[in-house]
Amino acid sequence: MVVEPRTALSLRGVRKAFGPIVAVAGVDLDIVAGEICGLIGPNGSGKSTLFDCCTGLLRPTAGRVLAGATDITGWEMARIARQERLLRSFQKAVVFRALTAEDNLVLAGQMTAFPGLAATFGCGQNTRRRVRELRDRAGVLLERVGLAHMRHAKAGEMSFGQQKLLQFASMLMPEPRTILLDEPFAGINPVLIERIVENIRAVNREQGVTFVIVEHNIDVLRDLSHRLVVLSRGSILADGDPDAVIRDPLVVEAYLAG
Amino acid sequence: MPRFTVAGQHFAGQLASGALIIACLALFPLVASSYQLSTLIISMVFLLPALGLNLILGYAGMLSLAQMGFFGVGGYTSALLAMHFGTPFWLNFSAACLVPALLAIPLAIPALRLRHTSFVMCTIAFVFILESVSKNWVGLTRGDMGLSSVPRPRIGLWSGGFIVHTTVQYYYLGLLLCVLAVAALVTIVRSPAGRYMIAIREDEVLAASIGGRTWHYRLAAFVLSAAFAGAGGSYYVHYVTVISPSVFDPTYTNTVLVVVLGGGVGTIMGPILGGVVFIALSEVLRIAPELRMVVYGLILTTSVFLFPKGIVEPLTAVLRGAIPSRARGSHGR
Amino acid sequence: MLQNLLTDGLVIGSVYALVSVGMTVILGVLGQINFAHGEYYMAGAFAAWWAIDRLGLSYIESIPLAILIVAVLSLVIGYVVMQRLVDVSFDAGIIATLGISLLLQNGATLLFGGTYQVFDGGWLAPMRVLGEDIAQQRILIVLVTLAVFGALEWLVRKSSFGKQMRAVAQNVECCHVLGLDVRRVVLITFILGTTLAALSGVMTAPITMNIYGAMGEAITLKSFAVIVMGGMGSIGGTLLAGWVLGIMESLVAAYVGLQFRDAVAFTLLVLVLMWRPSGFFNTKARY
Ligand SMILES: Nc1ncnc2c1ncn2[C@@H]1O[C@H](COP(=O)(O)OP(=O)(O)OP(=O)(O)O)[C@@H](O)[C@H]1O
Ligand SMILES: [Mg+2]
Repeated sequence: MVVEPRTALSLRGVRKAFGPIVAVAGVDLDIVAGEICGLIGPNGSGKSTLFDCCTGLLRPTAGRVLAGATDITGWEMARIARQERLLRSFQKAVVFRALTAEDNLVLAGQMTAFPGLAATFGCGQNTRRRVRELRDRAGVLLERVGLAHMRHAKAGEMSFGQQKLLQFASMLMPEPRTILLDEPFAGINPVLIERIVENIRAVNREQGVTFVIVEHNIDVLRDLSHRLVVLSRGSILADGDPDAVIRDPLVVEAYLAG
Repeated sequence: MPRFTVAGQHFAGQLASGALIIACLALFPLVASSYQLSTLIISMVFLLPALGLNLILGYAGMLSLAQMGFFGVGGYTSALLAMHFGTPFWLNFSAACLVPALLAIPLAIPALRLRHTSFVMCTIAFVFILESVSKNWVGLTRGDMGLSSVPRPRIGLWSGGFIVHTTVQYYYLGLLLCVLAVAALVTIVRSPAGRYMIAIREDEVLAASIGGRTWHYRLAAFVLSAAFAGAGGSYYVHYVTVISPSVFDPTYTNTVLVVVLGGGVGTIMGPILGGVVFIALSEVLRIAPELRMVVYGLILTTSVFLFPKGIVEPLTAVLRGAIPSRARGSHGR
Repeated sequence: MLQNLLTDGLVIGSVYALVSVGMTVILGVLGQINFAHGEYYMAGAFAAWWAIDRLGLSYIESIPLAILIVAVLSLVIGYVVMQRLVDVSFDAGIIATLGISLLLQNGATLLFGGTYQVFDGGWLAPMRVLGEDIAQQRILIVLVTLAVFGALEWLVRKSSFGKQMRAVAQNVECCHVLGLDVRRVVLITFILGTTLAALSGVMTAPITMNIYGAMGEAITLKSFAVIVMGGMGSIGGTLLAGWVLGIMESLVAAYVGLQFRDAVAFTLLVLVLMWRPSGFFNTKARY
């Protein structure tokens, strides 16, 4: 018996234009559940815009986005995150600067700990217990990404790399199904890159979380990903085994041409 | 504008100092003159809408200048109920919280589509619309004449009971209301919803990306701030026993801004201190209301550059210097 | 009757346009809303009144003097406050300028008394235009407004200072890198914007006759409506929006009721904001 692999995320003819500029020019892509998919492409090829379309930050000009079997086109960002557990990081290190590292993680975890709206206004025993549990989880995760000593530091006072690590850790708080990472290794030193890579592998293996990773550091991506997709001028140029894709002359040419 | 958050670490300590402050305030009438008490009553009148502004601006990061509009609506609601139905204070007061909160919902639906300066302008326009209504709906509000001889607060379950009329009694009523309001604010900002509000203030898109229902929490902040403002209106109208469309005057909005921004936006103690210090200051400047407004203007402008965190921070620094505390430096980086 | 209302609206609209365009250029370059803008209108009127009433100057002499006084005032305020608003958040800018508005408004009341002052000047003799008697001062207001808008268009589009203004409006960091003196451009633009408000105040005072410390408050609010209707930062749009507001006010005052006159501005403001909720005041996208 052949089991169809489940898709975590499907794009059907997704297109996004900003006035005359076409950032994404009709992309069809199926991300298989449980895989780590690398997404590369020259600057301005539409990678971040594609993420924005998947997570509801932007509404595609045309085409549909499906998470599993659910059509999520036009959903709000928060709804996609809550209902589909589809999370994403941003290219810039974005954290809640005035909050401590721990509170950043607690916030990210609130969406699973307090699914209802009314529950978030609670102040009773139950609420406090759940927040305490989130704090404990946050402690464990901070340990995992090597930020345990920064637990009570303001996120805005942390270094750029530390903020990126914190952002990564906060993706893991709400029991995610799919995580889209936008350049998680940019501006991070090799030791820390190694640590994030290990974490991605572990989460992928142990919890079956699907990853789509945009990254310019192709060496790291080649080792990490099961599959590599190349985007150029808003369309898919190549898709397949990382080693094969990287040797593809078309891809090399696209990169050289910029 | 820099703001900072309530750290969870020293909550027990904060509770203890809060209890100490309340105890001091409760004993204050034993030594205070009636003039000092009435100054504090005015502080408490402004503290209630200021707590609402603190919630929406300091925590949710939305500069709403509609506070005194809701204050007026609360005041009119409370006064009309008391005048026409002779209802007890607790009922007037609850209605004065509820009506502005309900009114805030239809106003919020268009306003929440706006951000930044557009939102601020929209909230200013609301106050003018409310003022216009209060001037022209003569059948209900008696227009420019306003309502006079509003009954004093009657503390009783339904009929009968006890009428608040001396300054000391008004003082204790205000103290009770303010303690309740501060407790409500603390509860809100320490709840998960409060954390979402801070997240929205810091970065709305990021808050949505981790599943925060940003529209709902912005609505909640707007509605709750209206309820706080309405509470102030109720206490105010039963204290001065008159209300007219002049309650929507920008002067009052500016006073609330001074209390919150001068005191320390996004902190619990800031607006409380601001209320006491700046209202006392304005009583000193009573001889010329214009001089008071000039000083308020100076406070607002300099607060942006010189003390963006309000007076609460330098003041706590002074206190910490005077009383060496164990809590200091108990958590660091 | 209708023609009368329309000319009336056009004159008042020109006043609004003249004040608002100052706010528009300041907003464009500084990126901040000047909540004290109406106070410079008031200051212009008071300075001229002071020159006429206390120094015994004629109206025509009082105009340049009033503008000079407001220019010096805004030089000081611009130097102390406005220059620093380049890199603060929008709400800090609102608070800072709101503070200045309180300062100026109540400062004027303290200096000149809380009651209305009667402005005695201007050319109020009627002139026959298109079969209608119109005070000369009103015609002058429209003409001056047209001239100022023409000059502004030229300044922003053609002059070298206009290029600098547009550069600062586009990207402050780039200007720093290119060695452009951002603070100087901000200061000059601010003085330009406030003196336009002052000019408007001086020109209008003979018509309104009464001047008082808080007279700028309503003007600030109306300017919000005008710049939002005018499409933010557009000079021609501001003129058109000013006229639309002026004419609508005079029609509403005549046909609906005088007490609803001032409601026109904020009703329009809310409606336009609803119509284009994200079109204005867009902060740059960061993602
Ligand atoms: N908000 C916007 N308005 C107009 N054009 C935009 C907008 N966002 C992106 N673009 C354009 O869309 C194209 C794709 O941008 P995108 O950020 O998706 O590229 P990218 O592949 O993520 O590049 P990089 O590797 O540099 O991050 C670019 O040409 C960009 O100029
Ligand atoms: Mg990108």
